[in-house]
Amino acid sequence: MNFFAQVGILLRKELLLEWRNGYAISGILLYVLSTVFVVYVSFFQGVSPMVWNTLYWVMVLFATTNAVVKSFVQENGARQLYYYQLADPTAVLVAKILYNILLLFALSVLTWLAFGFITNNPVQHLEKFLLAIFLGSLGFSILFTFVSALSAKADNNAALLPVLSFPLVLPIIMTLVKISVSALGAIRDSSLGKDIGILIGIDLGLFALALVLFPFLWRD
Amino acid sequence: MIRQSWWKILGVLLLVYTFIAGLMMPLKPGIIQVSPGSLHAGEAVELVVRGYNSSYAKAGKENMRAWLKMDDENILAASKVQVLGNRDLKVFFNLPAYLPSKDSSGSFSLILDHPADGAAVLPNAVFITQDSIDPAKAGSAWKSGRFENLSEHPGKTFPFRNILKESIRNQYFHVPLWFAMMFLFLFSLIHSIKYLRKGDPDADLRVVSLNQAGMIYGLLGVVTGALWAKHTWGAYWSWDTKQNMTAICLLIYAAYFVLRGAFQDDERKARLSAIYNIFAFAAMIPLLFVIPRMTDSLHPGAGGNPAFGGDDLDNTMRMVFYPAGVGWTLLGFWVASIVYRIRALEFKWLDR
Amino acid sequence: MICNRVSLVLILALASIVSARAQGADADFLESMGKMYVVLAVVLAILFGIVAFLIYLDRKLTKLENQIKEE
Repeated sequence: MNFFAQVGILLRKELLLEWRNGYAISGILLYVLSTVFVVYVSFFQGVSPMVWNTLYWVMVLFATTNAVVKSFVQENGARQLYYYQLADPTAVLVAKILYNILLLFALSVLTWLAFGFITNNPVQHLEKFLLAIFLGSLGFSILFTFVSALSAKADNNAALLPVLSFPLVLPIIMTLVKISVSALGAIRDSSLGKDIGILIGIDLGLFALALVLFPFLWRD
Repeated sequence: MIRQSWWKILGVLLLVYTFIAGLMMPLKPGIIQVSPGSLHAGEAVELVVRGYNSSYAKAGKENMRAWLKMDDENILAASKVQVLGNRDLKVFFNLPAYLPSKDSSGSFSLILDHPADGAAVLPNAVFITQDSIDPAKAGSAWKSGRFENLSEHPGKTFPFRNILKESIRNQYFHVPLWFAMMFLFLFSLIHSIKYLRKGDPDADLRVVSLNQAGMIYGLLGVVTGALWAKHTWGAYWSWDTKQNMTAICLLIYAAYFVLRGAFQDDERKARLSAIYNIFAFAAMIPLLFVIPRMTDSLHPGAGGNPAFGGDDLDNTMRMVFYPAGVGWTLLGFWVASIVYRIRALEFKWLDR
Repeated sequence: MICNRVSLVLILALASIVSARAQGADADFLESMGKMYVVLAVVLAILFGIVAFLIYLDRKLTKLENQIKEE
């Protein structure tokens, strides 16, 4: 069975697992709604587009941490090892990354809808904003999935993921904030193309590195 | 290599040179203050000038020349110069009634020149206002000055910058810490890769030692930078581009040590922290491209230019700065090698 | 680790002393030095930092020596 077929099957497995127990989606849904509500209550006077943008990405970042942290711990070690025997270990990682991209994209859209519904929707250029969300979920997914694989090997892993990944995610989130500010029409940004290029570059670089390093990571 | 001492001696010698040359070489004579700071067009004015490291008395007033300059075209020569002392001077100007500008006011630099000190400039020394605007009438009145055969200061000096003054010397103590830190982290990356390829525990000990030395340098860089910033820009932390970059670097490597603390098993600890080290270094590279584009920096070399361009690092400073960079880097490696040797002993005797 | 914390406190204390000095009444004296005190503060901060790290290493080595002697 070739690599891509393996990735396809593993991705289907992830989705099926999610569909059957439905725990993650409903948990995250609730998490997003309550965060949005907390923010709304704290900022009852309404928010300017710039602040909206910042709050949005902070909420997405924390929701991401919560969503991805269980990637490598929800199934126990023996079962994990069994997958690595059946399939190419890198295929397992790629499937998890792809699954997390879908999950994070859905999560970002959901946060946007909920936040936009409760406060207001400052998005002027829908296509730019969706692009920002997509590139964001791409980068977050690659970085957080890999770091969660790393921290899953440690003894106290839940606290470790944010500590390890937040400093690394800073360049991504700074670029994202810049792209989405121009999607809100708050400022005219002439270097948008360059920013998108940088973000895609970061995403591809991290993805390649994750693929190279994962073979050293999974075996114990 | 670690046990050989030639490179340690070299490092110390370079640092001795850095300290002696960096602290002893005088600043180029400059102008600290001109008062009054705001003038009115059409008046005869008397400016009191205070110099730094200057020897006005030695030059004598017959050799002393002074100008007010708006741009390269419009320069006004002083009518008279009166020397009060080595650091004190009075300069007299007959300001024309109109400024060579379409604005109601403009700021002018004061330029002094005499053979003993060479030329000195105080940018934006005075602010001149005018009642009615007519650049055409200003005409030839502002063409009286011309810079001809400006004198050079005899002997080697560091440049005089009005906001920095003597603290320009921190270039040899603060800036090289950053270079040395990047070198230490680069070598730790190389040893991490070596560890993943060979699985040699010795490589892991080197990675930790280099990272520890790099962290020390980073912390020192932040502290010295904050001290310098307080007295130059007015705040310990001004959310400047490079300050943010260093802060993020330190966070990343602090996370590295947190990760190491989370493992009991030595082999696992070494392998996973090596993986994180490589991943972290790669994630740090975009910082060099991303953050500098976000805001302007107060540091020299902002706006897409490589650091240390042009006037901020002249040839005399280079003569000290490059040896300083090498010296501090070698000292950093010496620190790292001592940490490594202690860790290696510990590993050999206790962790069996 | 304790040494590191102590050194951090020392450095911060030094920093605040220097800055308090700079804002103090004796502005003329400081002006005549042309900000040389900033260079002094920076060099001292580096010296303190390195010395604090040496103390940390010294203690670590002493502990190690004692443990090896016991074995």
